[in-house]
Amino acid sequence: MTEFLEFLFNGIALGGIYALIALGFTVIYRASSVINFAQGSFLLLGAYLVAWLHVDKGLPFAVSVLIAIAVTASVGALFQIGVLRRVTGQQVFTIVMITIGLNVVLTALVPAAISSIGQSGSDIGDPWGSSTLGIGGVTLTYVKVWTVITTLFVLLLFFLFDRYSRYGLAMRATASDEEAALAVGVPTRRVNALAWGIAGAVAVVGGFFLAGFPSRADPVLGLASLRAFPAIILGGLESPTGAVVGGMIIGVVEELTAGYQPNHASWLGTNFYIVAPYLVMILVLMVKPYGLFGQRPVERA
Amino acid sequence: MTVTDRLVRLRGLGAAAIIAGLAACGTSGTSNTSSGAAALKTGPGIDTATKTIHLGVLTPLSGPVAVIGKPLTLGQETFFQQLNDSGGIEGWKIDIKDHEKDTKYDPQTQVQQYNAVIDSVAFIAQSLGSPTTLAIQQLADQGKVLIGAATQSSSWVTDPVMAVIGNPYSIDIANGIDWVVNKLGKKSAKIAIVYQNDEYGQDGLRGYKAALDTYHFNDVGQLTYAATDTSFTSQIQALATAGAEYVFLVATPSPAGKLVGTGAALKYLPNWVFQGPCWSGLLMTSDGSATGKPTPLNNPAITSHINVLGFQAQWGDTSVPGMTKFLADHDKYAPTQVPDPYYMYGYAEAEMEAAVLKKAIDSNDLSRQGILTAKLNTGKITFGGLTPDINYTPQLGPVAEQTGISAVDITVPGFLKIIQAPFLGDAAKTLKFPAS
Amino acid sequence: MAALMLWFPFSPMATKFWLVTAVFILIFAIGALGLNVLTGYTGQVSLGHAFFIAVGAYTGAYLGGVGSRDITGLGLSAAIWIPAAGVIAALCGLIIGPTALRLRGLYLGIVTIGLVFIGQHIWVNAPRITGGPGGRTLPSITFGSFDLGQDQTIAGITFDSNALNYYLCLFILAAAMLFVWNLARTRMGRAMQAVRERELAANLMGINLARTKITAFVISSFLAGIAGALYGSQIHFAAPNPQTWDLILSIQFVAIIIVGGVGTVSGALLGSIFIGALPQILNNYAGSIPFGLIQTTAGGGGYISYGDAAAVVYGVLIIVFLIVEPRGLVGLAARARRLAARYRSTRGAPPSVPSQRPASAEEVVK
Repeated sequence: MTEFLEFLFNGIALGGIYALIALGFTVIYRASSVINFAQGSFLLLGAYLVAWLHVDKGLPFAVSVLIAIAVTASVGALFQIGVLRRVTGQQVFTIVMITIGLNVVLTALVPAAISSIGQSGSDIGDPWGSSTLGIGGVTLTYVKVWTVITTLFVLLLFFLFDRYSRYGLAMRATASDEEAALAVGVPTRRVNALAWGIAGAVAVVGGFFLAGFPSRADPVLGLASLRAFPAIILGGLESPTGAVVGGMIIGVVEELTAGYQPNHASWLGTNFYIVAPYLVMILVLMVKPYGLFGQRPVERA
Repeated sequence: MTVTDRLVRLRGLGAAAIIAGLAACGTSGTSNTSSGAAALKTGPGIDTATKTIHLGVLTPLSGPVAVIGKPLTLGQETFFQQLNDSGGIEGWKIDIKDHEKDTKYDPQTQVQQYNAVIDSVAFIAQSLGSPTTLAIQQLADQGKVLIGAATQSSSWVTDPVMAVIGNPYSIDIANGIDWVVNKLGKKSAKIAIVYQNDEYGQDGLRGYKAALDTYHFNDVGQLTYAATDTSFTSQIQALATAGAEYVFLVATPSPAGKLVGTGAALKYLPNWVFQGPCWSGLLMTSDGSATGKPTPLNNPAITSHINVLGFQAQWGDTSVPGMTKFLADHDKYAPTQVPDPYYMYGYAEAEMEAAVLKKAIDSNDLSRQGILTAKLNTGKITFGGLTPDINYTPQLGPVAEQTGISAVDITVPGFLKIIQAPFLGDAAKTLKFPAS
Repeated sequence: MAALMLWFPFSPMATKFWLVTAVFILIFAIGALGLNVLTGYTGQVSLGHAFFIAVGAYTGAYLGGVGSRDITGLGLSAAIWIPAAGVIAALCGLIIGPTALRLRGLYLGIVTIGLVFIGQHIWVNAPRITGGPGGRTLPSITFGSFDLGQDQTIAGITFDSNALNYYLCLFILAAAMLFVWNLARTRMGRAMQAVRERELAANLMGINLARTKITAFVISSFLAGIAGALYGSQIHFAAPNPQTWDLILSIQFVAIIIVGGVGTVSGALLGSIFIGALPQILNNYAGSIPFGLIQTTAGGGGYISYGDAAAVVYGVLIIVFLIVEPRGLVGLAARARRLAARYRSTRGAPPSVPSQRPASAEEVVK
């Protein structure tokens, strides 16, 4: 039982990180029908900035995180304004390819640049280290506890913003019908830039938890974003709620599979937990082709 | 072992042809020397006008594996530079900087870069990585191009074109288990292995299984992970549940750190035994140097549970005769390089290559075939104890078999200190390397 | 163009390096042509191309490779294993197609990513065919006793091994381009384009959606399989780790057809040249970037290694290129032709109207 609870909790913590990554994908998709393949490099940028500001420059951890969030959000928004705005109306795939271009640039540039101006180690020096919390025989690391708390807080902020602020309303209006929103005076261009900013910001939060103890900021961090793909499909591409639920399901499925499959279903092969989320995704899509929370687009001939 | 079997089958013919060719060349070489100032036979990469020998380097200088490729290459640069500054090899200078190519640890790029340099170099002074070196092995066999294989896979030791130093991975693991079972006398200890799910991990696993057949120790788990994993909780839970007391790790520094860290956090502290490539100074401080900021793993409660397997001497251990010169060369040619086992490896690999070249120059034959012949007849090469002596003869097989055990000591330059002098256990002797 | 490509191995720039790079370019063009049938002509987004490339490579290894105690290899001629690689990959496409094609747009794109990961799992766990996590070696292309892995002398001319592979790949690519060019003009080809433009309308016109999509999927997989077998024979060794058959490979194919020009025959080749040759050119010249910014040797000064610098420039060029010409190289070529035509029609007189750029959607809205 203890073992199960530990797996479950770790699954939720991992799921929280997936949820944050998935939320970044969803916000951009909702605003512009584009999947941002540079999301992983935003994660990378955030983690390396925290490592550099906190460990090399000696700024307090919280301040470093806030600066990293501000910088990454700006990079996202500026990319939308400076680049994507010029290709509005082009084929979705062309725009997706441009985000891949950005991913190539950041993945090569960030680790190289930050390790040449700072130390090469990229330990992010998070304040929790290896300290743990014991609740009724279940041992939890503080990093994971804080991952869950922070994730929930960030998600709450996002939903409050989405539901009650003027821009949140504008974002939802743009998402449901961009032309109509434009017609009634919604500043859709600013809304798009905002979506990219938000995606950058949430990626940083996911990034520094992924790079926290016992991990570090390293170049393969960006690949973690690929692990979040099943989450966004499971939840439905344009649904932030779906991103969160999908992320949690994928995180828990992954940890439980990793925990139990090697001993109880070893015939499924080694490292089965890597494909398990994809199999869950495919099963769900067989039943609901647009994910758990996605909407079937209305088709007009 | 699968890979080795396959390779031997595949190039049994080629190897036989090369070795057969040697005999002929060997004799003609001798007759040349006896007749006095015979004409030097040359080949690609040999510039007789400037008396320079050009060598190629195929290594990851960017991407995640650059943390190994860069110091290793720098070690080679250092050795050749000091060699050139002290007169070279009988007046011949060695150049590697003109043909240093970034492979990004990618087989396709490796093939392209091999083609880019091959016509202008005498041989490949460094090919880093197993999947990458396998990508060019057929090409090198056909072209009779010597390859300095900077990887310890068991696959290489039976291919005449592969110039290796140090132990195959499988031998290190087998010796490590011998250390636990016989040297420490823990005959009934619960032992497990965690390996990376690729060629490197499979080679370590092979050593583990050979040891299991020899010592019949208490094997409580053979676990694996993927290079992109972010969470290692399940592996730690499985090890803790099985009660493993000695866990052998065949990994790279990043996952090794995550495993040990996750274990420490969950209050699971077995004796971790690292395969050499698991270790990096970066696990202890933010930049791998003594002046860097300590990491969370840099904690006596954790480091007292880490041992590292290896065939090399530890940085700064001046009881080793070659260490003083090595450190002096480092201070002179690469002072910014932090203590790093790969830097030392590159230095030793270059020393091996200089010995082979000297043999070829003495035999008056710097053609491809001549260099290959020289390699197979160089005989004993010593490294002043930096890495074990090797003996190159037409009889192929592992060139070194002794493994030393180190413990973490945060006060020494590379953070590691030998606690068990290199030795060869029974299990390692049972490992078969076909054709040897 | 064709004559130029036939002559290339005899040109002064045909060093070993550029020959082998050209071989990879041709192989990628064959695979990209397949993806263009599925994504370009039929409008079905796939990021699972790497899976079919791997199926082709392992089929080639299984049929053409040398066996051992633990790994099966039948040692057959390339005349058998190259086509067989296409057929087996096509069969996989036929089996997977009906399930995958229920989904639309980017949903399909991401589900096909799942195919790449499921593939990785299979490659690791089917050691008799793939060599398992340790991988297996792949054969060079051999027809009887004629080995394209060796330099050969034909009619007194010595051909570099890379040149031989170049001509074989060029021949296969030419055949594939001819096939796809013809396909686009058949009833099936027009049905595919109708599906791409508007599925519902195509259905109302009496086009069998499932049959059309699955045909596209099978053709795409067939060409991917052929490309995979050829690719495998060039890298000589294949293992699931590190990431030989991963998502990045799939993305590379998508990049080729977008940069080249979606839904065109020549786009696949043009895109492959751009995506295949550009990083190599950058790699060779990144060292000339001034101000000591670039580190050219392991111990050299500078802030960023030449490999990383090349990657950065490469990414920036892709972004800039797609902003300037979102329709890809084919669009660029069309624009050049138009300009040339206008120049001819004005008989060298300076053009009275500045050359027009096609208006973007944004400008139309304004």
